[in-house]
Amino acid sequence: MTAMTSARARQAAWVALPVVLVLLAAALPMLLSGGPSGGRALDPGDTTLRGTAALARLLEARGIEVVRVETPGAAVAAAGPGTLLLVTEASFLNRDGAHRIAEAPGDRLLAGFVPHLDVLAPGVHGQPRARTRSRAPECALREAVLAGNAFTGGMSLTGPRGATGCYPAGGGHTLVRYTADGHTVTVLGDASFLTNLRLAEDGNAALALNLAGARTKLVWLAAPDDPAEAGGGSDEQARSLGDLIPAGVKWAAVQLAIAVAVAALWRGRRLGPVVAERLPVAVRAAETVEGRGRLYRSRRARDRAALALRTAAADRLAPRLGLPRTATPEEVAVAAAARTGRDPGPVLTLLCGPPPGDDTALVALAAHLDTLERQVRDS
Amino acid sequence: MALTGRAGLLAALAAIVVLLAPEPGLVVPVAALVLAALVAADLLLAGRVRGLRFHRDGEQRVRLGQSATIGLTVDNPGPRRVRGVLRDAWHPSAGAAPRRAALDVPPRERRRLVTTLTPTRRGDRESVAVTVRSFGPLGLAARQRTFHVPWTVRVLPPFLSRRHLPARLARLRELDGRHPALVRGQGTEFDSLREYVAGDDVRSIDWRASARRSDVVVRTWRPERDRRVLIVLDTGRTSAGRVGVAPLPGSGPSGWPRLDWSMDAALLLAALAARAGDRVDFLAYDRAVRAQVSGASRTEVLSSLVNVMAPIEAELVEADAAGMVAAVLSRARRRCLVVLLTDLNAAAMREGLLPELPSLSSRHMVLVAAVADPRVADMAAGRGTAEAVYDAAAAERLRGERREITAVLRRHGVEVVDALPEDVAPALADAYLALKAAGRL
Repeated sequence: MTAMTSARARQAAWVALPVVLVLLAAALPMLLSGGPSGGRALDPGDTTLRGTAALARLLEARGIEVVRVETPGAAVAAAGPGTLLLVTEASFLNRDGAHRIAEAPGDRLLAGFVPHLDVLAPGVHGQPRARTRSRAPECALREAVLAGNAFTGGMSLTGPRGATGCYPAGGGHTLVRYTADGHTVTVLGDASFLTNLRLAEDGNAALALNLAGARTKLVWLAAPDDPAEAGGGSDEQARSLGDLIPAGVKWAAVQLAIAVAVAALWRGRRLGPVVAERLPVAVRAAETVEGRGRLYRSRRARDRAALALRTAAADRLAPRLGLPRTATPEEVAVAAAARTGRDPGPVLTLLCGPPPGDDTALVALAAHLDTLERQVRDS
Repeated sequence: MALTGRAGLLAALAAIVVLLAPEPGLVVPVAALVLAALVAADLLLAGRVRGLRFHRDGEQRVRLGQSATIGLTVDNPGPRRVRGVLRDAWHPSAGAAPRRAALDVPPRERRRLVTTLTPTRRGDRESVAVTVRSFGPLGLAARQRTFHVPWTVRVLPPFLSRRHLPARLARLRELDGRHPALVRGQGTEFDSLREYVAGDDVRSIDWRASARRSDVVVRTWRPERDRRVLIVLDTGRTSAGRVGVAPLPGSGPSGWPRLDWSMDAALLLAALAARAGDRVDFLAYDRAVRAQVSGASRTEVLSSLVNVMAPIEAELVEADAAGMVAAVLSRARRRCLVVLLTDLNAAAMREGLLPELPSLSSRHMVLVAAVADPRVADMAAGRGTAEAVYDAAAAERLRGERREITAVLRRHGVEVVDALPEDVAPALADAYLALKAAGRL
């Protein structure tokens, strides 16, 4: 019994194992990504520590129009010859969108990790190796010199020929400015000095105001609330839920299907054939009698039931009363009345009277027959 | 070939690798290929099962309710160790344990596995198949093969009524005059004359013999010997009905078939008759002869009887009484005691046996033994509710029919034993002893 129970438990464990593995696989990305992020990073409308609402307020206080846009199309529409396009959080940007931004008129300020740097700032290369810390300008750029020390780092950048580099780090600079095709393009290795958290430190605020407030209109490209409606060139193409699931999950599901198939092969292979046996019938001998009893009951066959009970009682009484087996019920009744001293009339009615009128009378008849037999036996 | 749980586990673990890998589309086929390669390698390195040789030993007969041990020797002539599991498959009612056994046979060696059978019903139980699954060194895959290693264990009737035998043998010795108490033999057959000793019954003094000699001589008596007893077992449909409570576990909740109770009674009668010096023959019949024992010596009769009884099962056909009587008459040329173990089923008796009975009872002493159903007695005692009384009426009607048929049989000079399952064997033995004491054999 215990062996069987433990075998069952083992089997259940084997069934539970894949389920646990699937759940684990589903929970893993969630566990790795950490909790929900607090606020939208580098967003001019966001007032959390990661946002840049303070800088936007300061710029507006200085009379600079700050236009927050979410898509490259909107950015290009808002931009003009006298505007500055600030790109901070642009992880959602695709290559097409980057091209459209690069063709927009006006100056560009790229801060932090911006993809498609080769399109947005041709000739600038960066290695993500510089630690973000307070650095000295060490250059002749007016905005940097006025601001003094600032919190920079991130990428170590090298600009094209003729570019100005500030805040040196590693082999290059963390701020690079150059002019090409009439655009002034400024690239910063890290954008954290713009955030509400860092703005008050060092010369961060001064550097930010100097850089972002260079024109009267600032077009700020921020991360959209819903990345699906941004992206750039293919704004109108909505992405389905399936596109959002990482490819690894789909392939893991395929792999799990393979695992299930292997498990099915494992469990499906019997250790030898099923053994069949020809068993004898198992029929209870009393079934016919029980069936006849039910038949009596369903047809309310009180006449037959009463006859059977009376005949049986008479058969048992006859030898006790010294009568032959062939004695009629009337003879038995008379002899029984004589033996017990009872009135012959009721005894005669009991043994050979009319059938009982209802079930209660039948039950009573059976009880009276028992009483008569007991009286004869005890007399 | 067979896979194991480890292969499934490996495939499931690969899913985690796929989830974390940078190129999941590539990892899935690679993982499948690796798994297939590992399985193939495991199969190649697993011990060869095709060449395994088997040899069986052990018991070929076992009484129902007892256990038999069967040995299975596995001989591995191959160069690699065979490590895995073995299933020795028997019929389910053979009660084989363990169902599967671990197997580990080094190359060119042999190992013996033991299977214990605890059968739950009578008959021949065969080994159906021996399946060996040999795992590879990694435990990912196994070679598997099923062999046929025949062995049959005959499960004999348990003969539970043998506990009644000592009391009946004591009674027999009493009849025989060999009882320790100094009583005159109650037999009817003249045995010998011997000298009177103090305490002998004076009624047994043979005056004529005493007159010839100068001494007082008494006659001694003994029961008849060398009579023939033919036990006829009805294996027709009426013997299939289950009655009573099965005395051994595993026979199911609805009791034993009438056939098994009848066999128990037949065995007690045969054991007793053989000790009493009578010849016992046996015949099982429904529409044809199912089994028979004739001319067995007194010492062998019991063992040959249980042997032929073991595989008999009730057939779901109406017994052919005319054929049965003809078979009995052809076998019993001299007068003998015909013990018919059947059921007192009124309809079957009236149409079957009763018309044929005169030809049988005119030449032989006939004793009919039947197993009554305790459930019917319980139902007949039912009172109180209408349902119980209707059931009681149905039961009384059946009992009335049985009484009637018993009366008819007795009018034909047939002895009838109608007893409850546990009592039928001693009741039949007592009936036999009574006939013997009365010299009616």
